[in-house]
Parts: sequence; C-alpha cells; structure tokens
Amino acid sequence: MSGEKRRVAPQPNVYVPTQPFWDGAREGKLVLQYCKDTNRFQHYPRPVSIYTGSRNLEWRAVSGLGVIYACTTLRISGPGLEGRVPLEVATVELDEQVRLIANIADSDPARIRIGARVKLAWDRIDDTTNYPAFAVI
Amino acid sequence: MVDMGAVIAGYSETKVVFKSGRSAYDLAGEAFAALLQSTGLEKHEIDGLSVTFPLSEAANPFFACYMSEALGLTPRWLNLSALGGCSAVGGVARAASALREGSCKFAVVLSADAPSTAWRSNYGAYRSEFQDPPGVQGPPATFGLLMSRYDHQFGLKPEALGKIAITQRANAVNNPNALDKFRTPLTMEDYLSSRMIADPLRILDCVMFCDGANAFLVTTPEHARERGLDKTVKAKAYAEVTNFKGDESCPDITESGFSAIASELYRKAGMTPGDIRMFQPYDDFTIAVLMQLEAFGFCERGKGSDYVLNTDLSVRGQLPLNTGGGQISVGQPGLASGGLNLVEAVRQMFGEASGRQIADPSTALVTGIGVIPYGRNWGTSAAMILEK
Repeated sequence: MSGEKRRVAPQPNVYVPTQPFWDGAREGKLVLQYCKDTNRFQHYPRPVSIYTGSRNLEWRAVSGLGVIYACTTLRISGPGLEGRVPLEVATVELDEQVRLIANIADSDPARIRIGARVKLAWDRIDDTTNYPAFAVI
Repeated sequence: MVDMGAVIAGYSETKVVFKSGRSAYDLAGEAFAALLQSTGLEKHEIDGLSVTFPLSEAANPFFACYMSEALGLTPRWLNLSALGGCSAVGGVARAASALREGSCKFAVVLSADAPSTAWRSNYGAYRSEFQDPPGVQGPPATFGLLMSRYDHQFGLKPEALGKIAITQRANAVNNPNALDKFRTPLTMEDYLSSRMIADPLRILDCVMFCDGANAFLVTTPEHARERGLDKTVKAKAYAEVTNFKGDESCPDITESGFSAIASELYRKAGMTPGDIRMFQPYDDFTIAVLMQLEAFGFCERGKGSDYVLNTDLSVRGQLPLNTGGGQISVGQPGLASGGLNLVEAVRQMFGEASGRQIADPSTALVTGIGVIPYGRNWGTSAAMILEK
C-alpha cells in the first residue's frame, strides 16, 4: 500500500468526536461506536444512536473478525489514490453485526471473494496513523 | 387514489455539453427563456419557483434567491430542491403541494448545473475520515461493491447491462440534445470490451459529468385551461424515501428505497406495472436501471438480467426504456440530470419526440436517485407516474 506520493492522514473529530477510533487504531485495536441502549455497534460514527436517537453511546473494541459482504477492485485513480490502484476495496461485515468499508491487504486476489473470512490488518497511512484494513484468513 | 391536482404544462431543455464554460445561471436562463417562449406565459405570471441545488454552485446557500434575481422573478413560493437527482420530480411534487395550498398559480421547476465546467461542492461530513481513506471517493467504487453483491445473490449477466447501454445509446442517436460524442451506436462487443473501472463495473455502465439545464411549468388543470395551455400531462402520483433502512447496520443492499415506495406509488395512481407505457428511470449506472425494473414489478426480484435479455426495451418495444438516451447516453448535466428523463417523458406525451416517438405515450414512470451513501445503494429514491 505504499504510494509514490506521501498520503495525508485524515483529521480526527471532523464530523463527530472520533478520537477513540484513531487512538485505538494507533494501538492496533479496532474501536467502534456502541449503542448502550440496544447493545449494538454502528459505523461510521454518528452524533446519536441510529437505533434509538439517544446519545447513550460509548466506544468499544471489536474482534476484528468478519466476512467480505461485497468487494471490488478499483482501477481508476483519484485524489489521494496516486500509486494505490488497482486497489482491493470491500464492505466487511464484522462478527459484531456492523459493516466497514476497508481495503483488503496482503491477500491472494483469487481468495478475495464474497463470504471469505477476514481478520483485521492495518494500513499504515503515515508514521503515527493506522487505518483498519483486512486480510483473508 | 390521491389526486395531486397538478399538471406539467410545458418543458424545455438545453443541449448537453461537456465543459461548456458556462455557469448554471446562464444555462438556467436559456432553459427559462425557452419555457416562456414555448408556453407563451409572461414572466410576471410566474409566481412559484423550485430550483435544483447544483454541484457547480453548491457553495452558495442562497442559490435559490440568487436564481430569482438572475431571472428577474418575484416568487410567492420558493423552494431549493436539494435532493440531487430527485430534485426535478421532487420539485414538481413540492410545487403540486404549493399549488394545492394556493401559494402560487404557475410554478417553474428549474434545474441547471455545470459540474464539468466548475465543481464547487464539498460533501464534508464523515467522508474524509471514513470513506476517502479506503479509496471510495467517487460513486464507481460504491457501485462496484453493489454490483458484486447483486451478482453474488442473484447472478448478474454482463450482456443484460450491455443491452441497457446499447438500447439507450440507440435512442441518444435520435436525440439532438444529447452530447455529440454519444450520438453513435454501441455494439455488445464495444460494451464487453470497455474498460473495467471497479469490477464488475465497466466504463460504459457509467454516466459522464456534463453541463446543461431543463425547466418545467407546473400548474393546476384549471389555471392551465384559463391560460389556454392545451398541452398538459397530469402528475398522477409521487412517492419518495430517503435513507431507506437507515436504522440498520447490516441491510440487504440489493434492496433499494424503490422497493419501499413502488406499491405506494401504484396505489396512489390506481395503476399496476402493466399500465406503464414507458419507463424513464434515473440511470447513473446500468445496475440502477436493472434494480428499478425489479423494484417496480416489471419482473421478479433477482430476475432483472433475464427480463432485460428477453424484453424489447426499444422505442418500438414492449416497455420503451429511457427513450431520449438516458443520462448514460445523453451525458449527465450534474444534478440537473433528474430533469433529463422527466423532460423526455413529457416530450413523448406531448407527441414531440420526432424520430423516437413511441406509439402509445399515455403513461410514464419517471424516477430519481439522490446521493451515494456509505456502503449501501443510494440515499433518496423518488418516483412519479405521469398520465396524459
């Protein structure tokens, strides 16, 4: 995933407070938003629970295990994609019943298919910023 | 049945052009002046205005007021329609509400955009943190994901998507307002050998950003009669939904908002799929057309590929599809694109689609799609049935 051009790490806390996601990623943990009223995760992070509308939310680590729900190979470049295409992109459904869009890294392309079991890997955007990616188990 | 109490009593559109160098205001002015000319209305008679919020001017939150000023209008009812590709049908539906309330008598629903000349839009929100890092900046990656899932669940035949692209392109050849570059026929070989951009999405499955504008005159049947507007089509029924299954984390993404509104739409119209004489669906990508054929009951869910392959969708066929070429073959004038397929439906119903006129234009189903969300299909689904 190393690009010819240095990638710019996203600014945290742009949409809603997201510091725990970024701090967790730095420590190699995937930390997502959790609705305490319904005991369900949600992603991307929101200002309220999408299930109830309350702000009774917290951040919890997930297993990082799941399956590929949908996948594509992106072949056209764009801003921030210099040197990264073709890029394996997937919607991953975690065992905790929440989905993330992420890259599939370090995996045999023939094994990147819907239903494949994946585990957390990390995309190193820069020296201090990790972003969740997944690898086929 | 619920009577919307509104008719479309005129339409206009500009030619679709790539990098025109013109602004949305200038394009809107061209469509507006053409609408006044074709309907014979005086400018001062226009007392309602719905303006589509365009990508090329989206940095201006006062766009609708600026447009009123640009056109010298003093509307008593003003609406900024920010439903993306649903803004035109949504604008007509909102104008119908305003007419029912007596807020105005003659409303113009105006869409103009020039994203291939100027892009002044920034979606902001969660995208920089959660959508851009894995590379999903534009719609193609999201549609590649959607198509992969559809294929997994139901089987997706590339030849069916190719047939949609080829059928629409044949219609664009007969549409002088289509982008000149697209006015040549396509073959299945052209389609199948076209560049893969987000597997299984090919370049010929996609729209291309262009510039253009369109406008509609919306009024009540009574006002139309009083003013001597004899060519009208009835806005028969309308339904929309935004953020379908928005309170679920793991929805089936092969099911769209259209499946939720189709039965409501048919019930309001007192019609069934068999009553629809032409289908003018919003077509940002060919898969969206296929999924809408299923959602609106032209075939069973998951059977879209076979239906397309076994049905004549040409202007002489059983269900004429995007008879003007659709956005895929006309060019997508940014967020004014939602008006493109609506213009074509009205033109057919007025009997003015020379060269591609269908035999029985008595009813039409027109749809809109707005915004591409995170890991789903689309944000807003809107649909309108028109009747002569």
